[in-house]
Amino acid sequence: MHTGHYISGGAHGVLILWALFGGIFGSDPPDVEVAEVSVVSEAEFTAMMAPQPDTSAAEEPAAMTPPEDEEAAPETPAQEEAPTAPPEPDVAEPDPAPQPAVPEPAPETTEDLAPPPAPAPEVEAPDVAQRPVPRPAPRVAPEAVPDPAPEADVAPEVQETVEESDTAETSDAEEQQATAPEAATTEIITEAEEPARAPTASVRPQTRPNRPAPATEPRETEQTETAPEPAAQEDVEEDTASAIAGALEEALAEPAESPTEGPPLTRSETDGFRIAVQDCWVVDVGSQAANVTVTVAFDMDRSGQVVASTLRMSSASGGDASATETAFQAARRAILRCQGDGYTLPPEKFDQWKSVEMTFNPESMRIR
Amino acid sequence: MKQFVATCLTTLLLAVMGPLMALAQNGPLRIEITEGVVEPLPYAVPDFVAESAGAQELAQQIARVVADDLTGTGLFREVPREAHISRITSFGSPVQFADWKAINAQALVSGAVSSEGGRVVVKFRVWDVFAGTELGEGMQFAGSPDGWRRMAHKVADQVYSRITGESGYFDSRVVFVSESGPKDQRAKRLAVMDYDGANVQYLTSGDALVLAPRFSNDGERVLYTSYETGLPRVHVLEVGTVQSRILPGQDGVMSFAPRFAPDGQTVVYSITQGANTDIWAMDIASGGTRQLTSAPSIETAPSYSPDGSQIVFESDRSGTQQLYVMPASGGEARRISSGQGRYSTPVWSPRGDMIAFTKQNAGRFHIGVMRTDGSEERLLTASFLDEGPTWSPNGRVIMFARETQGAQGASSLYSVDISGRNLKRVRTPDGASDPSWGPLQ
Repeated sequence: MHTGHYISGGAHGVLILWALFGGIFGSDPPDVEVAEVSVVSEAEFTAMMAPQPDTSAAEEPAAMTPPEDEEAAPETPAQEEAPTAPPEPDVAEPDPAPQPAVPEPAPETTEDLAPPPAPAPEVEAPDVAQRPVPRPAPRVAPEAVPDPAPEADVAPEVQETVEESDTAETSDAEEQQATAPEAATTEIITEAEEPARAPTASVRPQTRPNRPAPATEPRETEQTETAPEPAAQEDVEEDTASAIAGALEEALAEPAESPTEGPPLTRSETDGFRIAVQDCWVVDVGSQAANVTVTVAFDMDRSGQVVASTLRMSSASGGDASATETAFQAARRAILRCQGDGYTLPPEKFDQWKSVEMTFNPESMRIR
Repeated sequence: MKQFVATCLTTLLLAVMGPLMALAQNGPLRIEITEGVVEPLPYAVPDFVAESAGAQELAQQIARVVADDLTGTGLFREVPREAHISRITSFGSPVQFADWKAINAQALVSGAVSSEGGRVVVKFRVWDVFAGTELGEGMQFAGSPDGWRRMAHKVADQVYSRITGESGYFDSRVVFVSESGPKDQRAKRLAVMDYDGANVQYLTSGDALVLAPRFSNDGERVLYTSYETGLPRVHVLEVGTVQSRILPGQDGVMSFAPRFAPDGQTVVYSITQGANTDIWAMDIASGGTRQLTSAPSIETAPSYSPDGSQIVFESDRSGTQQLYVMPASGGEARRISSGQGRYSTPVWSPRGDMIAFTKQNAGRFHIGVMRTDGSEERLLTASFLDEGPTWSPNGRVIMFARETQGAQGASSLYSVDISGRNLKRVRTPDGASDPSWGPLQ
């Protein structure tokens, strides 16, 4: 009944208390200028006020001394007073006094002077950095790839040249030709968009002259140091192989009717699978099939290989029957072509990837 | 407090379990791929099998033309014959897919040629190597020995169609203006050639200046502008008989820039009267005309949409040359070009979805494409002078004329994929300009 009164009373009370103790009626103190001071003793003050010899001025007479072969060289008063009464250095602009008839200082005096600092070069830089223009390349891929070395063959993997050697320390690697992936750009570059030609590689810096070799290290040392590596590597490989074999055995030992639930594929495992397929997915960006998103379903065996007979189109959208069929064929080729000996997927999670639905969506490719 | 703690715990659980729940799956593993590669598809064309005596050379030539056609698109890359592991010695023998897979050939074209009694038969099959299946069914063409190139083009069209799902353009011809002589005394005459520059044939003598030939949709007639009477007048030429006639019109009036309607019964062209140029339409059979534009400016270079319902043209009614679209019967036009520079010679794509044009901007000429509403403009070329685009019958490639700078500058034909890739010159015996691509035969 009196709730309103109580609330009103309480609020007024709070307002009165705030007015009394909240400093609402207090005025701000007037602004006071504060200056920092320091205490100086009388002796210090005397020392400060005493005239100080001006060393810079003391050096000037030597510079202003006219050469001996010059005769009618009037001495300016300033030159006379300089040694005894050092004037306060005048930082203001000097009066345009009449030029003394003194010959200009000898050129050699200026040689010792440090050159004036050069003005900073004016750089015409745009306010906004231009987006780097990709260079044209015959291949367009998600990741740009530079031009391979001229001596390298084009291959998906990078490998160095291995040549035969007469030394006994040659590794077990077979002779091979250097390879590098084909050059690729991230988007189609038309002639109208092509950047100006510029060198794509700079000359490699020359190495310094070789210092005299200190002392030839005994060759046996290298051999003894490098020799254990293959053995250790073999051990590691054996361990890895045995681990893989063990994992495979375990996986194969699972009963066929094992439950489908299990640890899910990690993001990196899924991404690895996706990237492996997308590297083989060739999109014809100018075709009607580039408007089609197609989903392909297929089964896989435990070795990571696709069961080709199970490849089927589960859904498609964005084009007519012909374009859809072309899009499906391109997707199917991508899945089959890049599997090699089987996609790299964890065998222990076979239940998670034995059946796959892969959607190929070229939407982001169309404008390249 | 308890609620606060409970809320915090719930949020924490969701944050931790969310990704795991997302990764968990009940059905198949689902993956979406949005990034692919754009590169030529590797394929192999071993020499076709000669099934009769004397057909060996022809078999090799046909296989080479098929390979040149496919590789020339920029969409395919031939695996060199030196890399082939398998040899196809019989058209009917099974294909060793493993051998072709080993050299990364994704498609294989096998064929055979026989020649008996002045009749050549070419048969072929297309294989999907990685799927281990045949793409489509085997097919054969027959004709005279003189027509072996056309048969090769037809094989290539079939291969192209089966792999890309779209029709080809190899068995098609291009009419153009052949140019010879110095720049100030250049002789121009009409000529027709295969799409790749082979089999050039001249249609006019070169006595009169000719311009802007345009194929009809059936490829049997050509419209062009000739100065035979002193003034530019529109002519129509029957390709089969090489007979031409002047379209009816008023004496002393310039008519030019003709183009057929898709039905081949109507011609649109420009007429200049005084300082004004407008677009007119003429019924070829009756000679009746109809004025489609009436602005006090220059309207020219009309081109029909594939369905014949609209016309794109260039006009300087806004002060500079721009592109406009109007109904085929005339009426209000809407401007579709909006970029910097001057736009001209628009041509509607056979697919109907794009318009090719010439653009002059900042001292450079470009061939470009845009959507029919003017959006998604993209310049494909850049040079001293590029002009006069024409579409391949499948709407996939644009051919145009490029002229080099200077007194010795010459005009030649180039082609480019609509993606901007595969820009290349089309070899012709002399200079060439004003191409018009005919239909697939």
